[in-house]
Amino acid sequence: MAPKDNPMGGSAGGSDSRFFSTSKKGEMHELRMELHSTDRTVKVDAVKKVIASMTVGKDVSSLFTDVLNCAQTANIELKKLVYLYLINYAKSQPELTLLAVNTFVKDANDPNPLIRALAVRTMGCIRVDRITEYLCEPLGRALRDEDPYVRKTAAVCTAKLYDIAPELVKERGFIETLHDLISDSNPSVVANGVAALSEISETSGRDVMKITASVLQKLLAALNECTEWGQVFILDSLAKYTPADAREAEGIIERVTPRLQHANSAVVMSAVKVILSYMDIMSGAAHQDSIRALTRKLAPPLVTLLNSEPEIQYVALRNINLIVQKRPGILENEIKVFFCKYNDPIYVKMEKLEIIIKLVSEKNIDQVLLELKEYATEVDVDFVRKSVSAIGRCAVKLERAAERCIGVLLELIQTKVNYVVQESVIVIKDIFRRYPNRYESIIATLCDNLDTLDEPQAKASMIWIIGEYAERIDNADELLDAFLETFEEEDPAVQLQLLTATVKCFLKNPEETQDMVQRVLDLATEESDNPDLRDRGFIYWRLLSTDPEAAKLVVLGDKPVIEDDTFRLEPNLLNLLVGQIATLSSIYHKPPEAFVVRNKKGATGADDIVGDDEEGDEEEYEDENDVNRGGGDDLLDMGGLSMNDNAAAANNYGSSRLEADMFGAAASAAEPEARMSKVCAPEKSGGIELWAGFRQVSGAVKLELDVRNISSQVPVSTLAVQLNKNSFGLSPATQQIVFNPPIPAGGSGKNSVELVVNPAMLVQAPAGQPASPQIQVAIKNMTTGLVFYFAVNFAFEALFSPDGALERSSFIESWKSIDDKKELYGTVSDLPPASTDIDNVAAKFKAHHIFLIARRPVPNAEGQEVAYFSMRTTTGMVFMAELTFKNGVNAAKVCLKTEQIAYGVQAKVALETLLRS
Amino acid sequence: MIVNFFILSPRGDTIIAKTYRQKSNSSISAHERSHTEAFFRKVKFWDGVAPGTPGMDTTLGLKSGANTGGGGMMMNGEGKKEEKKRGDAPPVFVMPDGYSYMHVKRNGLIFGCATEKNVSPVVVIELLSKIAKVFKDYCGTLSEESIRKNFILLYELLDELLDYGYPQVTQTENLKAFVYNEPIVVSKVADTGKMINPKTANASAVHKPVISSVDTDGRKTSLSTNQKNEIFVDILERLNVVFSNNGYVLNSTIDGCIQMKSYLAGNPQLRLALNEDLTVGKHPSGNSAYSTTTFVDDINFNDCVNLSEWEHGRTLSFYPPDGEFIVLNYRMTGEFKAPFRIFPSIEEAADGSNNKLELSLHVRAEIPDNHFGANVVIEIPVPNITTGASCSVVSTPTAVGVHAEYVQKEKKIVWNLKKFPGCTEQTLRCKLSLGGVCTSQVKREFGPINMNFEIPMYNVSSLQVRYLKIAENMPGYTPYRWVRYVTQSSSYVCRL
Repeated sequence: MAPKDNPMGGSAGGSDSRFFSTSKKGEMHELRMELHSTDRTVKVDAVKKVIASMTVGKDVSSLFTDVLNCAQTANIELKKLVYLYLINYAKSQPELTLLAVNTFVKDANDPNPLIRALAVRTMGCIRVDRITEYLCEPLGRALRDEDPYVRKTAAVCTAKLYDIAPELVKERGFIETLHDLISDSNPSVVANGVAALSEISETSGRDVMKITASVLQKLLAALNECTEWGQVFILDSLAKYTPADAREAEGIIERVTPRLQHANSAVVMSAVKVILSYMDIMSGAAHQDSIRALTRKLAPPLVTLLNSEPEIQYVALRNINLIVQKRPGILENEIKVFFCKYNDPIYVKMEKLEIIIKLVSEKNIDQVLLELKEYATEVDVDFVRKSVSAIGRCAVKLERAAERCIGVLLELIQTKVNYVVQESVIVIKDIFRRYPNRYESIIATLCDNLDTLDEPQAKASMIWIIGEYAERIDNADELLDAFLETFEEEDPAVQLQLLTATVKCFLKNPEETQDMVQRVLDLATEESDNPDLRDRGFIYWRLLSTDPEAAKLVVLGDKPVIEDDTFRLEPNLLNLLVGQIATLSSIYHKPPEAFVVRNKKGATGADDIVGDDEEGDEEEYEDENDVNRGGGDDLLDMGGLSMNDNAAAANNYGSSRLEADMFGAAASAAEPEARMSKVCAPEKSGGIELWAGFRQVSGAVKLELDVRNISSQVPVSTLAVQLNKNSFGLSPATQQIVFNPPIPAGGSGKNSVELVVNPAMLVQAPAGQPASPQIQVAIKNMTTGLVFYFAVNFAFEALFSPDGALERSSFIESWKSIDDKKELYGTVSDLPPASTDIDNVAAKFKAHHIFLIARRPVPNAEGQEVAYFSMRTTTGMVFMAELTFKNGVNAAKVCLKTEQIAYGVQAKVALETLLRS
Repeated sequence: MIVNFFILSPRGDTIIAKTYRQKSNSSISAHERSHTEAFFRKVKFWDGVAPGTPGMDTTLGLKSGANTGGGGMMMNGEGKKEEKKRGDAPPVFVMPDGYSYMHVKRNGLIFGCATEKNVSPVVVIELLSKIAKVFKDYCGTLSEESIRKNFILLYELLDELLDYGYPQVTQTENLKAFVYNEPIVVSKVADTGKMINPKTANASAVHKPVISSVDTDGRKTSLSTNQKNEIFVDILERLNVVFSNNGYVLNSTIDGCIQMKSYLAGNPQLRLALNEDLTVGKHPSGNSAYSTTTFVDDINFNDCVNLSEWEHGRTLSFYPPDGEFIVLNYRMTGEFKAPFRIFPSIEEAADGSNNKLELSLHVRAEIPDNHFGANVVIEIPVPNITTGASCSVVSTPTAVGVHAEYVQKEKKIVWNLKKFPGCTEQTLRCKLSLGGVCTSQVKREFGPINMNFEIPMYNVSSLQVRYLKIAENMPGYTPYRWVRYVTQSSSYVCRL
């Protein structure tokens, strides 16, 4: 390689910013001349000028060929500049980029590893199909390059290629090569290998990492050698892995624990995540000591995170918020570190307050109150309000400290600072709800501050207090009367409270307040156009006029005592979020689906994945997918929804026919057979060959196992089975499988394991991606102690429940209400003759609990007929399908709609498999 | 990982922007630019509503179950209208375009990026900090000007730092082999940094880029001959102390680190030895002030540090990466001897008028007399109704640059001492006139007193560097070793 010149040398000295100052006319021409200069310094400067223009948004694409010409150089600096330019314009000038292919291919063979890597890296960034074709060759070579810099670049490039052309990556076996890179000698290569595998797993929804025992060992070995980022990637992969048992979990934790001392907080956080998620596996008394030891070990690194930059602190605090909810023991003695420093940014202070409330206990309440009181005198209004509110939450949480908290609040009310008073009133109302009839003595103090209240929420709270305790406030009616003067201007929340409080007041003291209540009811029912207010007004009115005693029972009835809401995340959500520690989910406290940009992979994308294993699941807390059961629309509306343009003609088709066909298909009573497939070869499992399949037997999902003892000298007698977390939440009802008599060598035996749905076994699907059909199974031969693993694709139809037939009307409703995005299309061809007839299909489907809802010919299309089917899983997911058949064609078009689009592919696969069988 | 990376100037101009991932359905750069602008507006005018952060609701969400007709309050904090508020935007939030934006602020510049995936925010924020650090190492200083002048270099760096949004080489040291552009040094800004330290005169030395030239075969050479062979070692301790008004310490921690910046030729292995009695873990009695052994609660190390001699001998060995780096961080809680003690008192004026107050403040330096506090600033917020104040200072003759004044605009008294000698006590007396009657409420508005200082060549903990030496004996190799201890206030507060 040629010696490197200093482009800044001599007269050129100064700065890059001079490149920006080319505003003369004809500058393009000038640049072009310079680009063709023989003087390399001029050339380099010219390319820099071009890039300068590019970065400020000027269009310099007209110089594409000229710049490209400069790539024919051995000077790496110039080359890098040209590549920088190329990436930027490859998008807008794909045709031109093709001209660069030769350069890329040539550079990919350059003796200089930097140039080889540069070529591969750049080609991966250019999303032009034809470039991609040329990429495979060099990429394959680069993955095995002798230089680690090239290998590491190639590893990332594989992920890029997967994003553009997944099938190429599969065809070329690049994923296997990536697996090899996990045990590479160079730490950066390992890091990128793991990163690429994780990325591919995420984009495809398939678990390409496939952590087996040997991969696990490789990862753990690499963990010590890897770059800091590599460590993060490895730890994140480990966090997704579920150890087979507590011992394995403990073993891995032992290897991970030293990472807690890393200076890079990303490493620390990911290590915490692994340990926390494995701690769940180590339940039971046997591991109490280990859990205790881990709890002790986790505290110092978490606290240390709070000494980092404020940005890291914020992220750490949001995570700690989850951790203290899940395992309060870890930080129970560390409350002091969450006390706010005066120079903390406001976003850190707010988060610290949240955690203080979570950690407050009777032991430290005095200390905490002292702090909160101090915070309440600071300048920042939001922070002050939150501190005041925190005092109230402490009172609600700690019964024994409630009085002290109220004392502090009263003290704060004395400051007469407007927002402090208002916030205090709001929380005191909560304290009243938590401890009814205990602290009413302070009402007088509150009433002294009525004038200060100008915010709706504070006003509403105060009015509620007045109404609730009207009998103890001498002038309750006067107070309310004062508020009533401005009734019409008030916020709806205040109006509602005023209405209720007045009614309460009336019920308690009817003589004096008759006029007032009449006035309020008039205002609410006649003057207001707020429907809530009118409704409530009318209800009260009617109650009062028909049966005042009943009104008393209703309006003055005991209200449920509120609970301490400190641990307010739902346990399911909390568990899910703890698994998401060190991700954005843990910052937003929302599942990834709620914010991750969905990558739109149309029907073709979905087709791609069919039959492949992927990871995913379905979150339980999402709105249930109950089909909307309203409406009695006739089927004629359906035409408009189906994929053909046949809306109008559908009218002609009588609905009687539809009725007749509803359940007309011949029912086949026989339980369907499981489709068995070979899942485990004898060499993996000590001479036993395993076949597995799924089916439903009288409502129960069964894992059918066919065991063939090929060469094991020890007869197979007892096996223990365990399922990894999976997209269906399936887990074995019993773990033991007993073969009686044992299967000698050469023999075979069948057995089945009942599977039950267990929400704890459910695994999260990446947002916008299909759930994985794969179920990972571990089998332990109890006699030999040998454990072997295999994965089997779940037969989704085994999960369909017998009550999956929808009402026709609700079917239509649902079909209409489902967004087009939640639709899958496909064509199944080469069907057996029996599957081209709808009656046969319906009968076959019915055996699998897939129900025919309706069928009709497609208008204006001779010989075509559509049939609608519905199915529902035992877990409550509903799928609807439209199958289109054509006379004499042994193919069917499938269109599937569901709210549970993550499982749509599987339902579709199930249909297609049944059609083909 | 991340989709793009950008640097915004304090005014919101995009100085550097790079896209690492393109969406398959074309996105135009102008479009992205508008997103960056929207992001900047969000950061600049943070209104406290993070689109994706539900944690901001301040009211108690009541799980009261069914609110039976009795009109139990509906109080879930919804519909709570907050007046527009200003404050620092949190470093992570979702924008309406569906992307999560993350950023760090360095020297007034915003280093930010966006992502569409559920990435690890810790990784991204660490990465952004690393990028800022690498840029600083390369450019010498981090400023809008230095970045603009070096933009091609920085784009080249960005290509090596990240690939497809994944962090690659992030150590200045290792980057050198792949980066060909050379930095253009920006004339040094007047900013002398916070650490004024007379014992190491060449403070500007730390502002030079760490990059040396590249030799003929394209790989980097060792340092050029005219480069000074030196290494800077700082033992930096930042104190967080809260005093009650009677001088009692309520809360105290030390955040410490050993930080280095190496300009050593040939990259020799170094050995750094700390106190042999250093113990990691909580002090059993929680009070380490008078204990002989040194306790730290927690300690963590840079990637490059070899810990084989740590357990026995408390010695670290490492090849110092170029540029600034932190060898280790440590953290101590428990009581330590606070370097300054603050004793405030507020009294109503002796003449009996109820609109005057007298404030006196004694500050005692409990450090040895051969040390001193530098650039001491003590701020005392006073009640809002204060109309004026006169300050008088009683200081020892050894104190230098003593000045106290009342700042009407900010309603506080600011007391400066350029030099606060050890083992002395300085006193400030203020007479405040109030625009109204002094009630106990008014008195509550005093404080908290906040103190900023720096103590050169002194550390509060007993952590010591026993030695720093080159591992192998290299004759004639005599680098300059600049070791300094600095104690700084982080949050040093006295409540009233």
